[in-house]
Amino acid sequence: MQILLLSAGFFVLVAISVSSVLLVNKAREDNARVVHTVEAEGQIANLLLEVRRAESATRAYLLSSAPQFLDEYQAAAARILPALDQLEKLTQDNPAQVANAAKLRKAVEQRLSEFARGVDRIKNSDVATAVTVLRDGTSTSAVETIASVGRDMRNEEDRLFRERTETADRTQKLASSVTIAGSAMVLALAFGSVLLVRQSSRARDQAEARMRDANLNLEATVDERTADLREANDEIQRFAYIVSHDLRSPLVNIMGFTSELEELGGDIFRRIGGLTQVATGGPPPAGEIVLEGADKQLSADFAEALGFIKSSIAKMDRLISAILNLTREGRREFVPVKIDTRELIEAIVSTLAHQATEAQAEIHVEPLPNIISDRLALEQIFSNLIDNGIKYLKSGVPGEIRIRGRTKLGYAIFEISDNGRGIDPKDHQRIFDLFRRAGTQDKPGQGIGLAHVRALVRRLGGTMSVSSELNTGSTFTITLPIAWNASNRNADR
Amino acid sequence: MTLPVTIIMIEDDEGHARLIERNIRRSGVNNEIIAFPNGTDAMKHLFGADGSGLAQKGNSLLILLDLNLPDMTGIDILKQIKENKYLKASPVVVLTTTDDSQEIKRCYELGCNVYITKPVNYENFANAIRQLGLFFSVIQVPPAAS
Repeated sequence: MQILLLSAGFFVLVAISVSSVLLVNKAREDNARVVHTVEAEGQIANLLLEVRRAESATRAYLLSSAPQFLDEYQAAAARILPALDQLEKLTQDNPAQVANAAKLRKAVEQRLSEFARGVDRIKNSDVATAVTVLRDGTSTSAVETIASVGRDMRNEEDRLFRERTETADRTQKLASSVTIAGSAMVLALAFGSVLLVRQSSRARDQAEARMRDANLNLEATVDERTADLREANDEIQRFAYIVSHDLRSPLVNIMGFTSELEELGGDIFRRIGGLTQVATGGPPPAGEIVLEGADKQLSADFAEALGFIKSSIAKMDRLISAILNLTREGRREFVPVKIDTRELIEAIVSTLAHQATEAQAEIHVEPLPNIISDRLALEQIFSNLIDNGIKYLKSGVPGEIRIRGRTKLGYAIFEISDNGRGIDPKDHQRIFDLFRRAGTQDKPGQGIGLAHVRALVRRLGGTMSVSSELNTGSTFTITLPIAWNASNRNADR
Repeated sequence: MTLPVTIIMIEDDEGHARLIERNIRRSGVNNEIIAFPNGTDAMKHLFGADGSGLAQKGNSLLILLDLNLPDMTGIDILKQIKENKYLKASPVVVLTTTDDSQEIKRCYELGCNVYITKPVNYENFANAIRQLGLFFSVIQVPPAAS
């Protein structure tokens, strides 16, 4: 719309300019014509005046024969023809005037010849003939023709003058009205443009306001959702805590009374043994009682059953403890401190030195970037990963565990790689799940370590991944922010 | 045992109560044990009908307290006992499944004398209770008077 208005305004301006130029040119032409008419009229008057002057000089010479008048006559007669030429030239453009001019020329030439004859007679002192010539002349048509043609020509020029003046006036009026109309149109277009601009700027302001509102809404929504998520997370933490806590209570009873049962069983079988011996006529039992036959089998079955119960309880207790520890870890407040990463890892390595020697493993710590993070969490992360590295080496191959570090875009990237047994790619996700393990189950463990490590890394605002193939070793990559800010994740607690 | 000390056991889990009592007896402690399965009954007994604790004036008490009770938290009971002028001298032994260090710290801050975690490992549990019995036999429990 605006472009349309602008181009319309431009078009109008161009049109006005072109027509102004054209009209001004036309006005100049018209004026030139008016001037031309005035010149022609002047020339007619000039010619007639010269004719009169020649006539009166001739007469004066006739009366007085004074050479002074002869000179005057000659001067006037000499000016008449050029004046006539001039007049003809001026009136060339008008056929009627051309005809008139021809008539005039004829009459003037006749008159001139009469003057010349008259003057000639006077020179020859033939005054009477001269007078006759002149008198005849006056009565001939030449004088009348000159007078009437001169009048006609004047009238014609007057008419032309009026006509041309009118045309010139009209042209000028047209020019000015075109200019005024164009200006008015330009003004109208400008007004329209201003209106449009104001309208569009108002629309833009409204859109901006709407966008601001939307942004505010979005922020509020995000905050709300974050709060919801946080609440849900807290809820889960509490749930896990309470469940694991309350599960422990019955477990204490099961374990307690199983132990009681075990003791009772011992008592019962001792009595059975004693009674059997008494029944077979032997002496009453003294010291250790040895069961035999079916009784021995029963006692062994009893002990086996209790053994399974107890080992299951122990396992369940370990699982519950693990969940409790995880939730407790989730509730712990993280404190960001400046950490000399290399020192931290070397301390871990020295506590694991015994296991490393036993497993024939060497641990190499390469230069590492220092970061700001939670010390305890980092210790747990690295000790779990290094411990895993030592634990799951390939048997018969000297182990080599390498810890590398680098920084990238505000993040520190740590790699813990080993040449151990490796992890099947299909298990890469599974190993991070709680209570899940992969590969040959020949080492003690609950399947908690990596789940715990990943939870810690996430709380520290980082990510972790594994790349590994069976039998070629594993590399665990941890990406942590160089300067972790407690406020962004601690609120998850 | 010469001291006329009454053991008040506040424990909602009957099994736990039985195991505790059995192990106390095994350690040779023969004092009267009064068991309460919830906090309300225990509070009524300790503080009397008027809630002043005057009823226990002059009695020597030793309180075994579980923190997880169905009707109130053991922490509340501990706090009220230690704020009552007749009862605050009575030793309180907190028995619970929680080994949360924050909770242990809080109990000691409130004036608990001993904190025992009920381990699933029965041997440890029995040992802890038996040691508690020895502890009972050597400490001088002051009467809840003055």
